[in-house]
Amino acid sequence: MGSKKALVGLLTPPMLWLVVAYLGALAAIFATAFFTTDPFTNEVVRTFTTENFKALLSPTYLRIIGRTLFIAVMVTVLCIVIAVPFAYFMARVAPRRLRHLLVAAVLVPLWASYLVKAYAWRTMVQPGGVLDSTFGTTPGYGFAAVVLTLTYLWLPYMILPVYAGFERLPESHLEASADLGAKGLHTFRRVILPALLPAIAAGTVFTFSLSLGDYIAVQIVGGTLQVLGTTVLQNITLDLPFAAALGTTSVVIMVFYLVAVGRTGALDNL
Amino acid sequence: MRSGVRTRASFWVFALAVLAFIYVPLGVVAINSFNSDRTFGWPPPGLTTRWWSAALKAPGPRDALRTSVEAGLGATAIALVLASLLALALTRYRFFGRNAISLLVILPIALPGIVTGIALQSVIQNVLNPVFGINAGLFTIIVGHATFCIVVVFNNVTARLRRMGGSLESASADLGARPLTTFRLVTFPLLRTAILAGALLAFALSFDEIVVTTFTAGPGTPTLPIWIFNNLFRPNQAPVVNVVAVILVAVSILPVWLALRLSGTEAAESRL
Repeated sequence: MGSKKALVGLLTPPMLWLVVAYLGALAAIFATAFFTTDPFTNEVVRTFTTENFKALLSPTYLRIIGRTLFIAVMVTVLCIVIAVPFAYFMARVAPRRLRHLLVAAVLVPLWASYLVKAYAWRTMVQPGGVLDSTFGTTPGYGFAAVVLTLTYLWLPYMILPVYAGFERLPESHLEASADLGAKGLHTFRRVILPALLPAIAAGTVFTFSLSLGDYIAVQIVGGTLQVLGTTVLQNITLDLPFAAALGTTSVVIMVFYLVAVGRTGALDNL
Repeated sequence: MRSGVRTRASFWVFALAVLAFIYVPLGVVAINSFNSDRTFGWPPPGLTTRWWSAALKAPGPRDALRTSVEAGLGATAIALVLASLLALALTRYRFFGRNAISLLVILPIALPGIVTGIALQSVIQNVLNPVFGINAGLFTIIVGHATFCIVVVFNNVTARLRRMGGSLESASADLGARPLTTFRLVTFPLLRTAILAGALLAFALSFDEIVVTTFTAGPGTPTLPIWIFNNLFRPNQAPVVNVVAVILVAVSILPVWLALRLSGTEAAESRL
């Protein structure tokens, strides 16, 4: 269609921006993870070392990494448990004219301020807050509040792909299953779930990796809870190379997860 | 699957519970902005508009709002140009490294914000400041935001270009129009609503961003989310924080509604 010259013209400005402003910065920070810090001046010393990654293997940091992974898994499972029946409701139970409204009802909170949503849960779980006065009890700031808040934050990221998965599932498959005598739950296990798996896997990419990197919500509702993100934050000013190593760790975990999910074919839907 | 009345009823109950789970916390923040109790005891002992008038008079949030709007407009403008060019290149040409580039575009939104944040922060400290004399401030906020705003505009424009196909552009070329004329008279008019929807969403994304902003904003130029976060743990600022929070939600949702009208739900899903 166009000439080579036109292509170069189109590509040059965005590539300059993404490669110079972004990729360059990123490469520099990954390299920093292999540097060290002068203990007296806190200046970064540019000599190659793997000390930062060895320090990550201490019990303190292994526990923090484990806790972060556990939170990410819990949040992901909770999102699946809530999203699958809700998406089924959106696609199959609710009247057709309500569907657009329901999609909008899920999309709007996806864009509503992240910070305010986390803050909203602070007022929900605070002593004397909504949960306390309605149910007589509150988890307070800490682990449970973090899991709850992150589930709330990332739920739309799970609902939307799963809803799209249900939309793609032909009604005839469900009818065939029913005609062959399968009961509701049986159809769910043998027909719906296998067809839905790629959509769910796509949703977990968001819920898992967003939970892994989060530190703002953790600071707002987590009390003194330590996760990967908060430890990165604490090390930035005093020991940037170690902070970089911690950040790199979360990126590496994410990449492993992406590769694993990619094998299920889920990423083709994105 | 034919389901009985009771199954359907339980789905309705469950769905209403989920919708309540999604909307009640946001509603609570809105109500709390009128709560007369300074520590937000629930239920509110009384309602007042005191915090709203206090917030509208306070200079902190107002300056922060201006910074946020300026950063949003600047980042959106840059993202708009870069993303449209990129979308045209990637949908209308086949070349080596095409897949790598589409991966590179998502990277800023896919990687944890804190990693992007410290990366940009060390560029400011080690390159921009010593070499160019640029300090962390509005300019660096715009650079950071533009980087992750590119992806939403890109997704919107790419989706539209794919749906359009190339036949109209070919027809225009066959009728003798030069590439630039074709772009001006055929491609751009068809892309206009997609670009506008992308711009609205990019603005919403920038307006709400906090993580990357923490590392690229100087101490003197907080955006609205940064202002909220800085004042979140100060008890005497809490009532004003609630009001600002309500404003933040309103301003970030408005563009999304407009984008939904312009380009359908696919547009707003470009955050996924």
